[in-house]
Amino acid sequence: MNMSDVLLAFESVEIRRGMSVVVSDFSLTISQGEVVVLHGENGCGKSTIIEAAARILPIEKGQVLHHQKVVIDSEGRRNAPTVPFGLTLQQNGMVGSDTIAEHLNNMMSICKIKTNIAPILKQYSLDHRSNDLIAHLSGGQQRKVAVITGLLPAMTSKSARLVFLDEPDAGLDDDAIQTLCQHITSLRLAGHSFLIATHDERILKCATRINDLNQDTEQKPPLGEVWQMPEIEDAKSNNFIQVGFTYNSKTKAGFANNGIAGFLTLGILLSLVEPFELDKLPSLKMGFVLLPAFIAGLCGDPVVNLLRENRALDWWQANTTTPRAVIMPIVGGAILTIISSYIFLEHLEAIVVVAGSLSTLFCSLIIGFLQLATNKLSRPQAVFIRLLTPILILPWSIVVNELTAYI
Amino acid sequence: MREWGEIMKDRIGISFLGFGFLGLMITLYLGLMWAPSVAIDAFESPAAQRIFYWHVPSAWAAFIAFTVLFIGSALWFFKRSPAGWRLHVAGAEAGLATGLMTVLSGTIWGSAEWGTPWDWSDVRLNTFGLLTLLALFLVLGRRSQPDGIETRDTFSTFGLFGFVLVPFTYIATRIWVIRHPGPVVATGSDGSLQSDMALVLFIGAISFTIFIIGHILTSMHITKLEQRVELLQSEIDRSA
Repeated sequence: MNMSDVLLAFESVEIRRGMSVVVSDFSLTISQGEVVVLHGENGCGKSTIIEAAARILPIEKGQVLHHQKVVIDSEGRRNAPTVPFGLTLQQNGMVGSDTIAEHLNNMMSICKIKTNIAPILKQYSLDHRSNDLIAHLSGGQQRKVAVITGLLPAMTSKSARLVFLDEPDAGLDDDAIQTLCQHITSLRLAGHSFLIATHDERILKCATRINDLNQDTEQKPPLGEVWQMPEIEDAKSNNFIQVGFTYNSKTKAGFANNGIAGFLTLGILLSLVEPFELDKLPSLKMGFVLLPAFIAGLCGDPVVNLLRENRALDWWQANTTTPRAVIMPIVGGAILTIISSYIFLEHLEAIVVVAGSLSTLFCSLIIGFLQLATNKLSRPQAVFIRLLTPILILPWSIVVNELTAYI
Repeated sequence: MREWGEIMKDRIGISFLGFGFLGLMITLYLGLMWAPSVAIDAFESPAAQRIFYWHVPSAWAAFIAFTVLFIGSALWFFKRSPAGWRLHVAGAEAGLATGLMTVLSGTIWGSAEWGTPWDWSDVRLNTFGLLTLLALFLVLGRRSQPDGIETRDTFSTFGLFGFVLVPFTYIATRIWVIRHPGPVVATGSDGSLQSDMALVLFIGAISFTIFIIGHILTSMHITKLEQRVELLQSEIDRSA
């Protein structure tokens, strides 16, 4: 075996889940054109291996390499893969408010290419649903989209790609599984490599090796036609700010998550006092002007909240970086501060608007960071992370004091 | 049959807790009834100053607890030491208890002396408040999650981060004195405390230290027993 052909390598890897060691001293290499199927009883560690290969799970010992470059190791290093890979998790990892086309465009954007996806969708009987929201699809249709997403990097690349599929057959009908088997075979013949966890006999037959986590068994896979790559164009990859902006503008999550809280604060403040009653209390007046934007920021990053659906956050973190809301907090904080300035100050001060805008951005980024820091926990929503947010009141109150001079 | 030495080892924490508690009660009595009063013009509310004999030793104990939390977090995070994790748990619980004592006594004094229980623009108050909230987050958060590597790694990271605030909180009083009084011990000057006041403060600091050691030892013992129960349960699950 030529080392340059090795696309995936596990080197003496140990992985824990909870307090138990699920995978111990596991080594595996997958070369170009190989399909390795992980096969074993439930709980033996198949999904654990796939998630470690995709950099989702931390590893206790050893290292994992993609294309001979370390992507994750036991020292905590987590390097972005230099070559994009395909990933289908057990949970689909998709956001319901995306259409099929938008979700696949995200994958293509990560691969920095563009192609017509209609012929691929047609093979899975989804071409008529291309512009439907994923949330409106049946469970089986959603699974098909997740599988196509996993296959797409290989389908659109001349050079060898890695594809990780975790129980891809779950929820698929017979026709779809047959199409999937054909695709696995034809993509293998085109030089791409697969690591698949499955119990399905039809997919097992596509394997060049079956691994039960202790030993490999080689087998002769079926013959087929080599994958005919569709026409592709080079495209620019969207960065985490652009993707976050797209999610935000499409779902209005920023308004629902942060904006409403800001407007409610404004309403509550107005119910407490008449604006002219604050004339003799300048610092309180400035506090009232800046409070709605601050409260909007304390509601956190709307995109991070949105991506918690169906492990979409894990899918994004595995493939690239997490999309974040940056534009919305800046704009939303400015709008809230402009309105509160007109109400309480009766004029606009540019520096006050900038301060309101930045306070929303700063708070939502910090809280989003805290949310991401606890995302690996089993129950991230139950972790009381917002107990740490009162410290944000300190810089805010200092800003309020400093800006009182502008009244 | 358990060895006598093992039984004594288990009880040492409880003994420390008992002696520490006794010391706390003596401190409370001496602070409220025996220690001399401050000059009538020294503070807005001179009588409230007596809470200082509780507030300062509890803050001292909180810093010990947060140091234990840091050591435990580091031992778990870098060495995967089970004893380190037990130290982390004990440090977080002790930090929460003493942190709350400090914050509550401070707010009572603040209400009497400043007319407000809290000042959001005071750096020391806020960083210490954050440390206490961090301990609360670690205690509540740990109880909300199943025990596992991810849980321990995440909370240890926060434990390590929290320790950065300890020296920051200490120097905050020296750099940004806004409302919180400056240090009364280790100031480098001749000291502003009368000897009787210093004696009560000293008794308080020793009592809180013994109490916090007892708490940490007992908490570590309880965590060890919890881990043993969990292990035995898994063995029963496997054999069932």
